[in-house]
Amino acid sequence: MSKKNMQNQNESDLYTSHVLQNGISRRRFLTGAAASTGAVALTGGLASTAATAATKGSEYAMSSDGGASLEFMPKPKPIADKDIVSTQTFDVVVVGAGASGVPAALSAAENGANVAVLQKQAIVVSQGNTGSGLDLSKCDKAGVEALVNRLMADSAHRCHPDLVREWAYNSGEAVAWVIDRAKKGGAQVQNQYSKVQHGIRGLTEYKLNFHTSYFGPKPYTTGDGMRALAKYAEKQGVNFFFNMPAQQLIQDKSGNVIGVIAQSRDGKYHKYMAKKGVILSSGDYQNNKDMCNFFIPDLKNFERKQMDRTGDGFAMAYWAGGVIEPIGHTKMLHDFDAGPASMCDMPFLAVNRKGERFVNETTAMSLMNNYLRDEENAGHYSQVFDSEYMTRAKDWPGKLYDPEQIKIYMPEDPTPKKNVYPSQINTYKADTLEELAVKLECDPKIFTANVKRYNELCKKGQDDDFGKPVNKMAPLLKPPFYGIHRRMRISTLCSGMLVNKHHQALDADGKPIGGLFVIGNLGGGFYGGVDYPLTVFGLSLGRCYTFGYLTGKHVANL
Amino acid sequence: MKQLTLKNIVLSLALSVFAAGAFSADKPLLESVHKDLGLTCKDCHSSKPFNEPPVTACFECHDTKELAKETADHPITNPHENRHFGTETNCNYCHHQHKESENYCGSCHLRFKLVTP
Ligand SMILES: Cc1cc2nc3c(=O)[nH]c(=O)nc-3n(C[C@H](O)[C@H](O)[C@H](O)COP(=O)(O)OP(=O)(O)OC[C@H]3O[C@@H](n4cnc5c(N)ncnc54)[C@H](O)[C@@H]3O)c2cc1C
Ligand code: HEC
Ligand code: HEC
Ligand code: HEC
Ligand code: HEC
Repeated sequence: MSKKNMQNQNESDLYTSHVLQNGISRRRFLTGAAASTGAVALTGGLASTAATAATKGSEYAMSSDGGASLEFMPKPKPIADKDIVSTQTFDVVVVGAGASGVPAALSAAENGANVAVLQKQAIVVSQGNTGSGLDLSKCDKAGVEALVNRLMADSAHRCHPDLVREWAYNSGEAVAWVIDRAKKGGAQVQNQYSKVQHGIRGLTEYKLNFHTSYFGPKPYTTGDGMRALAKYAEKQGVNFFFNMPAQQLIQDKSGNVIGVIAQSRDGKYHKYMAKKGVILSSGDYQNNKDMCNFFIPDLKNFERKQMDRTGDGFAMAYWAGGVIEPIGHTKMLHDFDAGPASMCDMPFLAVNRKGERFVNETTAMSLMNNYLRDEENAGHYSQVFDSEYMTRAKDWPGKLYDPEQIKIYMPEDPTPKKNVYPSQINTYKADTLEELAVKLECDPKIFTANVKRYNELCKKGQDDDFGKPVNKMAPLLKPPFYGIHRRMRISTLCSGMLVNKHHQALDADGKPIGGLFVIGNLGGGFYGGVDYPLTVFGLSLGRCYTFGYLTGKHVANL
Repeated sequence: MKQLTLKNIVLSLALSVFAAGAFSADKPLLESVHKDLGLTCKDCHSSKPFNEPPVTACFECHDTKELAKETADHPITNPHENRHFGTETNCNYCHHQHKESENYCGSCHLRFKLVTP
């Protein structure tokens, strides 16, 4: 993009111009290649390296400075027409049947479109329980704007304000719609309204109220909910194609996206033409290791929570001319399942995998991953407390589970495991600290030494090591001792392709790509911080539903 | 392969296991289980060069719905029917032919200690 264009850019759209300047796109590489030819002339000796980079560049995507070829995004191989065994035409083709794709498909169908959904996996797959939106009929506008401001601050002011407002002013309608339609498909879902939104307390003096969809209790999830919604969508005429991963986008001569090529499990190719548009909703790229290491090097040692999320949508949109947000993507690493979710932010003594205290425990669980990035810790830490925790922590934010209730999180306890994931629970009880250390897989010597030091600081009433407030210093004195061994694993990654307000992909000149829309975590601009914020509980799913709902409607009406 | 009836096959499996047992107590790789049943390379690899065959090759002989029923009472969890893939988890995630099989689910699930043939 030229300097002149940049000056014309609307002031409020600094986000877009930043991504255009620094994001990853094909156009950028073309200019990058020209620049590196200049460099060759100067340095002479590097000519051959530059030449291979240039030829490589035609096979692989390139980094934003044109310096590195990104082998995790190879150029799609041409597929000859003779290898296409079937061709079907629809108004709208949705790629990916998850939390954004299923609502998009249904919304398009309700607006009169003939819709196909291509799904990589054998069934509709998604995760989580809670998805939220604002009930505008019970909000003051100043309250909504205060929340928008807070969400932008949560994203280090690096997101696109228009997209945050798109969520803020449409999400209540969208979430209520998802609840209604999912119920019609037989889902186990309820509206929790503002009941679970503890994170917004004190945020504004103006009225703020929510529609909060809850697919649960566990082990029931949004995955089950989206399967129910898909069942209802099928009744409304939406066509689902399972085990049918999209591979490439089809473009006409002027670059408009007019269809998708997918590959069935027998290796055969199928064409799905789209008269109005293709909506990409294929989720994140956590299972593409090289891509993760490039965009978020912090992720190297963490385990994953999902499967088959190899960033296919990124590659497709990139090769169609789209722009990927620059390096430094936002990540989400949580563990709400090892012990009670409502105790995850309680500042009990926390120790790393060895057994060492490593942080001021008032740090939120969603940020703990930043202290545990190394190979040895790999996201593991334990919250530990003694049998007096019900009194010691009674005034702390959050909700305590008493010694009876917490048993559903203890694999060693025979209590029936209701409302939890039996294979993810990880809470232990022991009569001695040494025994607890072993159960938490810590070094007993290091663990007991650290507990001893912590108890001394508690007694002294001053946290000389980490500066935690004295009313949050709960010593471990009276057995039995408890430990919640949490594993911070990658739930999702939430940065993606540059889009405008209508979720239409933009090319390297900032122009919309005809027929190409991007939603869910594959869409960019909604976050921007190091970690996903938990101010609004269920923001991620709420945003997926909302943008699916809006985009389905928008594309159907084109 | 197609000319073998399932009864024959099961019988020959019983025999081959018996015979193999005489030589080694180790678990044989699936390649030898299938070979002893009379399968040839072509039953899975339809064209050269031999790459990992598509999972549909397994479906030629194995009915996934039936399998899901057979292991429905698995004491740990049903490997052939789960919330991530329904009854169609890619067999090759767990079962390997020419190398040792693996416990794919165990990488994320504590205590899912599946022993995969
Ligand atoms: C364990 C867990 C708990 C969570 N809990 C919450 C919560 O309570 N609240 C919340 O707000 N968020 C939560 N999240 C995050 C939330 O689940 C995601 O942000 C959300 O599901 C993303 O939706 P999506 O539509 O972008 O992608 P997904 O829901 O992941 O769907 C993408 C779909 O695309 C398919 N696909 C991929 N590639 C292709 C291809 N090439 N062709 C066709 N299809 C393809 C995939 O099979 C998948 O079904 C949680 C995440 C995890 C892992
Ligand atoms: C029951 C199905 C089956 C049969 C029969 C079979 N294979 Fe395989 N083959 C596979 C699968 C599945 C893989 C993927 C790796 C694995 O599972 O070990 C594979 C992988 C291979 C590979 C390596 C390809 C790669 O890129 O990993 C070679 C070579 C191969 N097979 C050769 C043979 C030969 C030779 C025979 C006959 C003697 C044979 N296979 C019989 C299923 C089979
Ligand atoms: C041509 C038919 C055929 C094909 C193709 C085939 N199998 Fe089999 N397989 C059999 C038969 C027959 C048995 C024995 C009966 C049974 O256990 O179902 C068997 C047994 C097995 C067993 C059980 C072994 C044991 O020790 O209990 C596994 C696991 C298996 N197959 C996996 C696969 C996988 C994975 C593939 C695809 C890569 C595959 N099979 C392809 C016919 C086939
Ligand atoms: C999640 C890992 C996993 C996947 C995926 C998987 N299996 Fe299995 N399979 C197992 C385990 C574990 C057993 C042993 C079950 C037991 O102990 O009873 C098994 C057993 C079998 C058996 C022996 C059946 C029996 O009754 O004991 C066959 C045949 C088989 N699998 C075939 C397949 C085929 C074909 C597929 C693909 C459609 C497949 N499996 C997918 C893990 C898996
Ligand atoms: C990449 C990590 C990962 C892998 C691999 C994985 N799962 Fe899961 N599984 C999860 C997560 C996360 C949940 C909880 C929420 C959800 O449904 O996504 C879960 C939930 C479950 C549940 C319900 C909760 C429970 O504890 O009973 C079952 C059953 C399950 N998985 C079975 C399997 C089986 C069988 C396999 C192997 C084919 C498998 N999973 C592989 C991540 C994984």
